[in-house]
Amino acid sequence: MSNTSQKHRDFVAEPMGDKPVTALSGIGEVLGKKLEEEGFDKAYTVLGQFLLLRKDVEMFSEWLKDTSGANSKQATSCSQCLKEWCDAFL
Amino acid sequence: MPVFVEDPAQFSKQRLKLELVAHNVPLPAGESKKQVYLDLYLKYIAKNKAADFSSDEEDQAQEDAVQEPSVSQEEEGQQNEESDKMDVTQLTDDELKAEFQKYGVKVGPIVASTRALYERKLQRLLDPAPQPKQNGTSNADQYSDSEEEDDESGCDCEHPGPEPAAVTVTESDQSQLRDSRPMKDVLTEMFPDADRTPTGISATRRRPIKGAAGRPVQFKYPDLPMSPRTVEQQELQQRLVPLWVQVVVFLVVAALLFLIYGAMEDSLANPFSALLDNLSQEAELIEDSSSLPDSLASPDAPPLPVTGEE
Repeated sequence: MSNTSQKHRDFVAEPMGDKPVTALSGIGEVLGKKLEEEGFDKAYTVLGQFLLLRKDVEMFSEWLKDTSGANSKQATSCSQCLKEWCDAFL
Repeated sequence: MPVFVEDPAQFSKQRLKLELVAHNVPLPAGESKKQVYLDLYLKYIAKNKAADFSSDEEDQAQEDAVQEPSVSQEEEGQQNEESDKMDVTQLTDDELKAEFQKYGVKVGPIVASTRALYERKLQRLLDPAPQPKQNGTSNADQYSDSEEEDDESGCDCEHPGPEPAAVTVTESDQSQLRDSRPMKDVLTEMFPDADRTPTGISATRRRPIKGAAGRPVQFKYPDLPMSPRTVEQQELQQRLVPLWVQVVVFLVVAALLFLIYGAMEDSLANPFSALLDNLSQEAELIEDSSSLPDSLASPDAPPLPVTGEE
């Protein structure tokens, strides 16, 4: 939150299109693989989950931690990224 | 406990369900007929009404109905929490929703991928609710428990109010992480105040503001997620060149351009003027040379060799 990564800025800058989950900030190779195993292979599927949770950052972070084994920082980064994307494009 | 004058048999099925849920009576898994709920209602709630509401009896009743052999018999408080946990996982989606409505919390769609989360959220709502920190203040007794809960959780769906007290629940790591975060934003604004004022007078004033006005609290929530973003934007702007640097650079560049232009003007002006001078001189020379023979030819012409030349 204090500083945004390049990945974050890249993701928030444009519509996500068909980007893979790994395009989300906070989601690297390992978490991406885990999410793909769970069926979340594209960034938009993760966005779907985020929207299902009513854009609740807390809940989404929790979900991400459960699903992919992300740590707090990664989960927060990812949810912040999605939240800002929604603010910009929804 | 409310006193019912009506005949429970005339309650709607939904209302029976809600009543049961409100009295911590575990509902049968899945949809059942109204009669089932009515039986449960008569069995537990009517009985509790008749006898004094003793927690021992409640425990027994729950043990009967929970059908979970793993319910541990320890302290009563823990027993209650335990049975709540059992309930949460056994509720149907609708019941889960009803439970949240009881707390005034907005929930999104409860589907396969979100259900586990909502179950845990409900658990957190159920467990710490009786022991939030404001209850420590003496005047809080003037408000009924149910009203308090509604006030706290009714503000917004993502109100993490009762969360911090969630100590017992599942994975300790995660719950700690979860708890520390809400403490940062909302709770530090609300609860520490309540702690610092043991008189309770300010606490009673705060609560009506939260409940009745509702709006100031709600305004806080949209702000909170926004604020990190604005901070980021500010940082982005800071990371780009600050304004005064931009101005200075612009001035420097402008001065440079002006200097270059001035130098070029000088160097350009000279050849031009030189050229122009040359041209005018040539023109004068031509004029001179052309006017010379006329002036020489018209007079009586003492210089003969000129005419001979022509």
